Amino acid sequence: MLRYLSTRLVRALLTICFVVTFAFVILRLSGDPALLILSPDAPPEAIEAFRKSWGLDRPLWEQYFHYFAAIAEGNLGRSMRDGRPALDLVLERVPATLALTIPALILKIGIGIPAGIYAALNRNKLADRLTMLFSVAGFTVPSFVLGLVLVLIFAVNLGWLPSGGSDSWVHGILPIITLGTAGAAVLARFTRSAMLEVLGQPYIRTASAKGLAWRRVVVDHALPNAAIPTVTIVGFMVGSLVAGAVVVESVFSWPGVGRLLVVAVANRDLAVVQTILLFVALTMVCANLTVDMLYGWIDPRLRTRRVAGAG
Amino acid sequence: MAITTGSGPSAGEDATTRERNLPPGEIVEKRAPRGRTARFFEAWPPSVLLALGWILAMLFIAAFVEILAAYSYTAMDLRARLTPPVFWGGTDVRHLLGTDELGRDVLSRLLYSIRMSLLIAFFGTLIAATLGTFLGILAAHFRGWVEDVVLMAIDFQASMPFLIIALAVLAFFGNSLILFICLMGFHGWERYARISRGLAISANEQGYAGAVRQLGAPAWRIYGRHILPNIASTLIVSMTLAFPETILLESGLSFLGLGVQPPLTSLGNMVGYGREYITRAPWIMLAPSVIIILTTLSISIVGDWLRDRLDPTLK
Repeated sequence: MLRYLSTRLVRALLTICFVVTFAFVILRLSGDPALLILSPDAPPEAIEAFRKSWGLDRPLWEQYFHYFAAIAEGNLGRSMRDGRPALDLVLERVPATLALTIPALILKIGIGIPAGIYAALNRNKLADRLTMLFSVAGFTVPSFVLGLVLVLIFAVNLGWLPSGGSDSWVHGILPIITLGTAGAAVLARFTRSAMLEVLGQPYIRTASAKGLAWRRVVVDHALPNAAIPTVTIVGFMVGSLVAGAVVVESVFSWPGVGRLLVVAVANRDLAVVQTILLFVALTMVCANLTVDMLYGWIDPRLRTRRVAGAG
Repeated sequence: MAITTGSGPSAGEDATTRERNLPPGEIVEKRAPRGRTARFFEAWPPSVLLALGWILAMLFIAAFVEILAAYSYTAMDLRARLTPPVFWGGTDVRHLLGTDELGRDVLSRLLYSIRMSLLIAFFGTLIAATLGTFLGILAAHFRGWVEDVVLMAIDFQASMPFLIIALAVLAFFGNSLILFICLMGFHGWERYARISRGLAISANEQGYAGAVRQLGAPAWRIYGRHILPNIASTLIVSMTLAFPETILLESGLSFLGLGVQPPLTSLGNMVGYGREYITRAPWIMLAPSVIIILTTLSISIVGDWLRDRLDPTLK
């Protein structure tokens, strides 16, 4: 188990390094940051001074190490637009995003997993067909279309709910439903196929052949085994809590991290984009690590098996 | 077993479960009189036929948009701004789907958008498949550190939400159509890499690859002429399943105003600016939305059906 976890931890650290390198490389590839941040017709002395202060006049490998060191200290540069530290800008948007994504996640898990299990247990019956129909719709209807259609119905035509903004909890209802529906559909489809896969296994037949009640077979044998792939996708959803609402936040003008990212990309505010990129990578890696630990808890085989390059 | 259509394989299973309750003699009788039409619809379920019809229609539009569209996608008619479609109480038959805020014909723009979105998704999927297959085969051929690097890149790509990576690249490099298509080509390459690596490794261990190698064929010939044709059906199925995702990604980015840039138009782009007029002219946004949904739905139905027919191993 310890060995298993340590390989995972090394992998997580490598991923972080990879993202930092990725950010560094595209930052340097995209042109001279001095010319990007200052205007091209700034006085040459100013450009020179900027280069010096950012260490751009030093060799590339030295810049690379400086970049790593700066990031480790939490120095991620300043926003070009208002000159505030990019990290502060991002952090102050996080609560707004979480206010959307956490209820949406609860909605996804609360609807998606039971629906998937129920559909698998009633395969090819009406409930299964309906669940699958819902899940196909969730997959093919883009979230911005769903969001806008909800706005059209509930805000424009019926006038029950506000169409955008974040003044009160009422404003959150439509974005949360939009986010939750799409995710629930994905999760239902995934859980269903995981359950069907497990239900076809010989040990399920053995369990029912030895006279176990079907209820016990499902609860004790099918569910724990189907949980393993489902946990992976839930982990991915948890990992994208911070940045999983880019499109929906834009639809509903919700002042979260996603909206900040879109505005920063449009303005080419590199420091902010880079901070969000790293932030997302960090949450994804943490979520993946948690999932890996959960595997060890759910799947006893992993605790004893020697893991050599598994993954 | 992710079945979305609910029609393909389940039809056969319904039959078996029904038969189980019948006395043995009747099974034969039930099977025998199945007509030609029934067999035809079992092989080609109606949902698949409809989906194929829709896809063909979209391809037709994409190919002949210059002839089909009554107006250019930039042609403005300022006196006929925000005309509603004819079935929405509009009276102007020149604009069947109405016009937008600049008096541009929504139907014509829609047709051009279909072509743009399909082209981007097509090239994006093609680039991703080529890149992924190449890297996968590279990993399978060299093993060792090359494989480790490819596997790490796969892990990285799979663990980051692609939308965020795409947005970061767009922020750093700015936007142009070519760059945007290349960016779409980075979406989902890891799936092809994973599949082709696995298949190439197992193909390498089979007799035919060994036989060609013994005959002295160079590596590119073994992979290009012998292994690739053998794994192609799996790759084509994955491409079909990935295609709708690429359409959705493109339309999402264009919706945010960060994908296809005006004056060019794409489906997501149309939804994006149609949103500004959602109270006064919802048809601008609804028309492309319907196309996006029906197209992605059709391609997924066909993809699932292809998978069940060609490649039962894929899940």
